[in-house]
Amino acid sequence: MAEPMELLCWGGDWDLPSVHTDSLIVLTYAKFSGAKLAVKSIDWTWRTITASVPQLHYEGSTVTEPTQILNFLRKQRFNADYELTAKQGADTMAYIALLEEKLRPALLHTFWVDTENYANLTRPWFTSHSPFPLNFFVPGRQASLALSRILLTKAESPLLNITEVEGKIYSEAKECLNLLSHRLGNFHFFFGDTPTSLDAFVFGHIAPLIKAPLPSGQLQKHLNQLDNLCQFCNAILKNYFNASAEKRTDCSPTTIHDPVDANLQKLTQLVNKESNLIEKMDDNLRSSPQHRPHRHESKPLALAGERNSTPHS
Amino acid sequence: MSLAAEAFVSQIAAAEPWPEKATLYQPLKEDQILLSDSASSLAVQTFLRMCGLPVQVSCCANAEYMSPSGKVPFIHVGNQVVSELGPIVQFIKAKGHSLSDGLDDVQRAEMKAYMELVNNMLLTAELYIQWCDDYTATEISRPRYSSPYSWPLNHILAYQKQWEVRRKMNAIGWSGKSLEQVYEDVSQCCQALSQRLGTQPYFFNKQPTELDALVFGHLFTILTTQLTNDELAEKVKSYTNLLSFCHRIDQTYFKEDKGSRSV
Repeated sequence: MAEPMELLCWGGDWDLPSVHTDSLIVLTYAKFSGAKLAVKSIDWTWRTITASVPQLHYEGSTVTEPTQILNFLRKQRFNADYELTAKQGADTMAYIALLEEKLRPALLHTFWVDTENYANLTRPWFTSHSPFPLNFFVPGRQASLALSRILLTKAESPLLNITEVEGKIYSEAKECLNLLSHRLGNFHFFFGDTPTSLDAFVFGHIAPLIKAPLPSGQLQKHLNQLDNLCQFCNAILKNYFNASAEKRTDCSPTTIHDPVDANLQKLTQLVNKESNLIEKMDDNLRSSPQHRPHRHESKPLALAGERNSTPHS
Repeated sequence: MSLAAEAFVSQIAAAEPWPEKATLYQPLKEDQILLSDSASSLAVQTFLRMCGLPVQVSCCANAEYMSPSGKVPFIHVGNQVVSELGPIVQFIKAKGHSLSDGLDDVQRAEMKAYMELVNNMLLTAELYIQWCDDYTATEISRPRYSSPYSWPLNHILAYQKQWEVRRKMNAIGWSGKSLEQVYEDVSQCCQALSQRLGTQPYFFNKQPTELDALVFGHLFTILTTQLTNDELAEKVKSYTNLLSFCHRIDQTYFKEDKGSRSV
């Protein structure tokens, strides 16, 4: 390989190499298959609005879309699916379709359409990672794309209102997560002991959901109860991305920190449940000054003030 | 329907047995129905036959508008109307008939995943070929879709439907695909189905499930529908176990119509 392949993607936060699902899928697959990528983040550049992310550049050719990029990497002999049987390959395609149809709409809704999450987490993050004057346009554009995708694919004609579709997409997403949990069982990865492209896809979808400090995350709460998926996610982070799970302690009480010791895990689960109850009783816990995470330090004070004064229901 | 209303309806549904006069509505068979609707309708009919539930097929020009969700086919059972395969399977399960009871959790996950694969790839490809490919849209889809109506309604409805489908393709990122890429996707999907089926009679060995009904509905319709070119049918024909699968289900469940069907 003469020169490394260059990947454009959104930047990382919350312990993740990237907060964007598709970028995360590609990054994870590259780690699994041993491909060396020169990762260039598009944060704070004009590419936030012009480029369709993720994008792989190699010797003059450009590939977009996670499935196309994975195919390209396979052709370059970076193949994490080498040992799969034909049937497992077919299962991979089927499960990826399941993720796209059932889980993706709910993820889009959680991050981009749910007003609390959008106003308190997603929009500030994307605004702070886009250059002026794009910071006014980028989040809004993503949000309207997400909304139209949900409405066009999930809303049947009498249900053109987003609130009626919400119930349906969340219940489908929870069912999807349960199905994935059943399929994973007690294994480390979906097909035995080595990670494959399906693991990359699942990780890309659920990691932001686990790690993001969402103010209103019913799907996140449901996911946190599925231990094996949380363990799966943390194991990949620890082994492939060398992320320390201990870095953040209190900005989101629902994340599980230690996946290894079962007893400790049970204890942390109890603690999480307890802190959830406390959170419900005390609205101001999350927005009190000592719990403000350090990533907000560089933000203008106006935004921080807005966060403090927004009540959480 | 909201979730609470759905749960309430299925409780009511569970109380009544399957009536004699259950009806399935679809667009007109000879003139109006298109590939994707025909496939969905055949899938539901196959599923009902597999459950052993009799149903009359009624062809109406306005079936799409009568449907509660805007999609065909839909069934009218007693005083309830349910559309699309997913809700119909749940409705019939509430009545006590189910094909997938014998599956364990992992198999059920696989079945749902494969059903999504068929919906995601095959159905979307069918819609793409019908409405986003200009030649097919002009020659076949628009004239057929609007055939029961007089001018100018036929033009308006046909273009409206085309615009709706193109918008949906745009939203999911298929509008940038070329026809060759779509055929390639269909081929990959058929390859996955073929590998999953292997040499077994049905996808989950001995017993047919809703996945078998769905796959049969789509593949049989693709094989027997005349489009502007035969490339789609050729893609499916290259997988012999899928062909024999379709043949077997056709023989088993549609025996009395044997004279009128040919693969």
